Order: sequence, then structure tokens, then C-alpha cells
Amino acid sequence: MLLAISNPLNESELSFPVLECIHIIGFALSIGTIALVDFRLLGIGMRRQPAAQLLKDTSTWTLVGIVIMLFSGLLLFSSDPDMYYLNWAFLIKMACLLLAIVFNYTIHRRVARSNPSPPHAKLVASVSLALWGAVIFGGIFIAFVNEGLT
Amino acid sequence: MILSFAQWVQSSAFFTELRLSWFVYPAVMSLHLLGIALFGGLILLTDMRLLGLAMRTHSVTDVVNQLRMPKRIGLILVATCGILMLGSKAEEYYFNIFFRIKVLLLALVFVHGWVFRRSVYYNTVEIDRAPRIPAQAKLAAFLSLLLWVSIACAGRGIGYIEPPLDKIHAIERFLDSNANNHG
Repeated sequence: MLLAISNPLNESELSFPVLECIHIIGFALSIGTIALVDFRLLGIGMRRQPAAQLLKDTSTWTLVGIVIMLFSGLLLFSSDPDMYYLNWAFLIKMACLLLAIVFNYTIHRRVARSNPSPPHAKLVASVSLALWGAVIFGGIFIAFVNEGLT
Repeated sequence: MILSFAQWVQSSAFFTELRLSWFVYPAVMSLHLLGIALFGGLILLTDMRLLGLAMRTHSVTDVVNQLRMPKRIGLILVATCGILMLGSKAEEYYFNIFFRIKVLLLALVFVHGWVFRRSVYYNTVEIDRAPRIPAQAKLAAFLSLLLWVSIACAGRGIGYIEPPLDKIHAIERFLDSNANNHG
């Protein structure tokens, strides 16, 4: 059955760009705070603090950022679900996002807390940055790929 | 004069290739956004430390000094990608109100850095010694947050302005000159 009510977000031309700005601020906060820990694991940035301490100090803000990012993202998705569902860049983005969040709250967290040896730390930080980078690339490419999956 | 310069930049072979490539242009845009995520996040953290909202177990000196270099490298990445995008659509950007706002805000960022340089960003030892974070430092952080969030929003706004087609001729001129070269 088709929904009889249209999405109220689509009634204003402003809602989409405003949500996009909120989305950008949300991921700058979440990915930025995760990157601070990753940079530490790579030996860049706040090197005088242990990674475990940085993780502890940023985890609340990371979570706040992720919530803002996911909530605004869901609303953006709701503006045209069929388009997103058929967009391969979006599907890759969602796969990477799922991996990135799971990785962040399992391996990444455990390794950062244990103040690991450099090779191990660098590998985990690189995987984390690569996954979040892939999420951003996927997000931008949504607007540049028009052909749906066939 | 700025307009004809913009048209000349945009019609150069390099920026024409960049504009017409279906994947290089979005890749540059993705790197721009990735830079914003990584280093914009560091700006947010620094400002929130000055406001006393985050990283309170670390001194202001530690946060400001250790993040200075990563933020500069990040700014170079974001600005380079931004200039590449600007160059490939320079003529449209010239007419774009959000681009003009963004340039103005970026100029204000430099003014901000210059104004608070001595009292805040190179005065962190004094700030750490004070019983409370001084109002001047909080003001600097608040203005920085306001400026950078506005810059991000203005940047997103650029994409929503339709170019004034009656005023834009660069592409035809480029095609004409190409036809003449080959003719």
C-alpha cells in the first residue's frame, strides 16, 4: 500500500541543504575525534598523551557526532529512498559505514585502550581512517552516479 | 577583470579536463570533505577545549601546540582541493553568492587568527595558569566555531545556486577556440 502522506521534509527547498550542513558538522565531530586517536596511533599530533587517554576523553563527543550524523543521514535518505536504494555509491557507503562503526567499537577501541606496539597500532589506525574515508567518498559519489543497479 | 581572469583559468586545458572528468572532480570534492572531517574535527576539539567542554584532562598548551601542525597540513589539503574545484568552475563561482560569502568568511578567519594570536593561541601557558579560562580565550573559541561552521554551510550552499546562463560564455568560447585550432 502506498503511503497517503508525503514526506513533510520535501515541502521545503531548504530542508535538504540545512540537513546536509548538520550532517557535515556531525561527521566532522565524529570522524575528527576518531582521527585524533588514529593520528596518535600513527605517531602524529598529540603524541605526549597515551592513546587510551585520548580515546577516553573524546569518546563522548565521538558518540554525539555519530548520533547527529546518523539522524541527519536518515532524514536525508527519507527525501528520496528509491533513488538511494538503487544508487551503487550509496550501497557501498552503507557497507563501509557499517564496517567503520563496528570496527570503531570493537577492534579500534580495544587496541587504543591497550596502548599497543607501533606496527599493530599503525595498522588499526590506517584501517580506521581508510574505512571512514571510503564512507565520505561514497557519500560524495552518490550525487555523481545516476545509473541505478540493473 | 576578475571575471575575465576566471574565464581564462576555467578554460585552461587542466581545469577543463578536471571539470569534464566524471570521477576526478568528485574525487577532489571527496578529499575536500575528508579534509574537513579530519581537520575540521581538530578545530572543533581545540575550540571546545578553550571553552572547557572537551579534553579537560589535557592542558590548553598541550592541545593547542600539538594540534597546530596537523591543522595546518589539513588546511593545506582542504584549500588545495577547494582551489581545484574553484578553478574548474571559476566563472560560475564568480557569480555565486555563497562563494562570495565564503571568501569573506575565510578572510575573517585570518583576521581572527591575527587578532587572537598573542592573547590566546601563543599565550596558552598563561591561560593554563589562570584559575579559570579567560573570557578572551572563550571569545576566540566561540568566534572560531561560528566562523568555521558558517564556512562549511556556505560551502554547501555554493552547490545550490544555479549559474546565470545568460552571463556565462566560457564554454562556448572554449569550444570555438578549439574548433579554430583544429580548423
